[in-house]
Amino acid sequence: MGWRKLVVPAMVLAAAWLPGLGLADQACLSCHGSVEDAKAAAEALGVQLAPGELGRLVVQLEKGSVHESLACTDCHPEAEEVPHPAGMGRRNVCLSCHEDAGNELQRSVHRDPLGQGFFRAPCWSCHTAHDVRPAKDEASSLAPQNVARTCLQCHNKQEYLVGVHGHGVQMAGLDLAATCVSCHGGHGILPGSDPSSTVARQNVPATCGKCHHRVTKVYLASVHGRTLAAGNRDVPVCVDCHAAHDILDPRLPRFRGSSPEMCARCHADPLLAAKYGLRAEVFDTYVADFHGTTAELFRAVTPDQPLNKAVCYDCHGYHDVESVREVGTELVQKRLLVRCQACHPGVSERFLSAWTAHYAPDKNRYPVIYYVRLFYQLIIPSTIGFFLLYIAVDVWGRRRRG
Amino acid sequence: MKENKGIRRFSRWQVFQHGLLAVCFTGLALTGLPQKFPQTTWAKGLVLLFGGVERARFLHHLLGTIMALQLLWHAIELLWLHLVRRYPLTILPRSADIRHFFQQIRYNLGLEHTPPQMDRYTFVEKIEYLALIWGTVLMVGTGLILLYPVRWSALLTGEWIIAAKVAHGGEAILAVLSILTWHSYFVHLRHFNRSMFTGYLDEAAYAEEHPLELARLQRGELPKKAPVKFGRLLAFLVLCGVLLAGSILLLVWLRSSVPQL
Repeated sequence: MGWRKLVVPAMVLAAAWLPGLGLADQACLSCHGSVEDAKAAAEALGVQLAPGELGRLVVQLEKGSVHESLACTDCHPEAEEVPHPAGMGRRNVCLSCHEDAGNELQRSVHRDPLGQGFFRAPCWSCHTAHDVRPAKDEASSLAPQNVARTCLQCHNKQEYLVGVHGHGVQMAGLDLAATCVSCHGGHGILPGSDPSSTVARQNVPATCGKCHHRVTKVYLASVHGRTLAAGNRDVPVCVDCHAAHDILDPRLPRFRGSSPEMCARCHADPLLAAKYGLRAEVFDTYVADFHGTTAELFRAVTPDQPLNKAVCYDCHGYHDVESVREVGTELVQKRLLVRCQACHPGVSERFLSAWTAHYAPDKNRYPVIYYVRLFYQLIIPSTIGFFLLYIAVDVWGRRRRG
Repeated sequence: MKENKGIRRFSRWQVFQHGLLAVCFTGLALTGLPQKFPQTTWAKGLVLLFGGVERARFLHHLLGTIMALQLLWHAIELLWLHLVRRYPLTILPRSADIRHFFQQIRYNLGLEHTPPQMDRYTFVEKIEYLALIWGTVLMVGTGLILLYPVRWSALLTGEWIIAAKVAHGGEAILAVLSILTWHSYFVHLRHFNRSMFTGYLDEAAYAEEHPLELARLQRGELPKKAPVKFGRLLAFLVLCGVLLAGSILLLVWLRSSVPQL
């Protein structure tokens, strides 16, 4: 057995002439350069290794790593001893230089609960272990087009790839489009439930506003944005309408067609409506109207056909939604006429009552509609009731006569 | 009047008109009702079958136009037959119809021994005919309001346009339910009356439902066409001209653009 102990140092010496590397590094690669070398070395040392472990011992060094100037033993000083001492892997070697990043990570959702540097996502799961490159290098695991792949190793959020941001980065080649880290941060990622997280409800507008700053300004001045700033958690933030990961291009017919349902998620909710003194029938009255009927059938049947009928935001605005109560009926009616004329040129104030302003007609509001409806509510059951009664008598008479 | 076929009740032209009307009515109901109940699944399924709401609307407008033309044609035909050829308007209700109605009920209840002796059109048919005419006039009228809402807003307030929509939908429900109850029972379930498809009704059914007319036919008293007289022809032409010119003017007005303010 004794001679075997000489094999490894002999291999180290034999490898010393490998060009381009420091003498010591060449020595390391004589065992860690390929799976075969590692296997031979493990056999020589009489160490039992599982096939997966074998692969992890192989180090492939390529040009361009930020750590190119470092020697193996700068990070793995214990490795100078051959065979290597036990327990070498039980230390986060990155932290000896990158203490700040480690501290930041320890405050994040990826922290080590025991505080010993065994992070849930250790440095190398994102940065890779040896081939660490700057993000502007296309081969980096954290280059914009590679960020999603890196995070998706653990996180099941493939829908990001079909959203506008994922599509922008991957298909359109936009380095500016948001990747995971643009919104969630890098080392200091916090869960959305943490109030200081970049994706906590209150902070979502500011996070999106890093790129979409003018939209965010408009949103923050709207009834939704102002209420959010006042600490309310019921109002929609960017992601409630646009989604967080599978963001639909808002220019698509599908977005427009499904937008009434999107608003209805809150505005047709009887509990929310009662809480804020709103009327939950706004959605049903919209669908009962010609525009809403069309939008509803488009959404359900032909969602990708362009819809040219007015949806909620055509009258109420997008990011600049205002409270109808605050604006006042008079101004709303004045603006409504302008909105109607945008699609129906030439209509006058007389036309405005063709839109019943989300009200179901009653005796005082839109009485003509109310009485016509009442007429049919009476005439249909009475006529059909009379028909059925007469038919019943006729059937009875015919059966009786045989 | 062939023996095996029964007695001729409707002309081929009437059979064709009824067939066209039945196709239009069914098509209008299938393309129209989903628009009244857009949130239901069956409505969405039907619209899907038509290939989208825009195509369902196109079919609805097309069939509605055919039905409106049928109504116009029917008016002209009535004018010709009644005004020029002096046919009696046997389909209009008379006081005898009310008597027949109560007598039929008493007969069904066993309070009367003989059923009412009715002529060419029974009160059952008269009710249906008048409902059809009234319903078609209302549906064409409200339909034209819905088809050109902006044009009509020159005359009506918006509220009336929505009222027209409510009436259009209400009348549609009434019409469909009437067909499913009254019409289905009397011409399909009570006994299957094929006369609107073949033109002929068998003698037994004729004797039961139209004994007075049958007796007249058997006596050889066929309805007579009066000779065309110049004065009557002129009146007919003037009335037809007014009707057609009115329809065309209405259409021209509807299709003209609204003056910009």
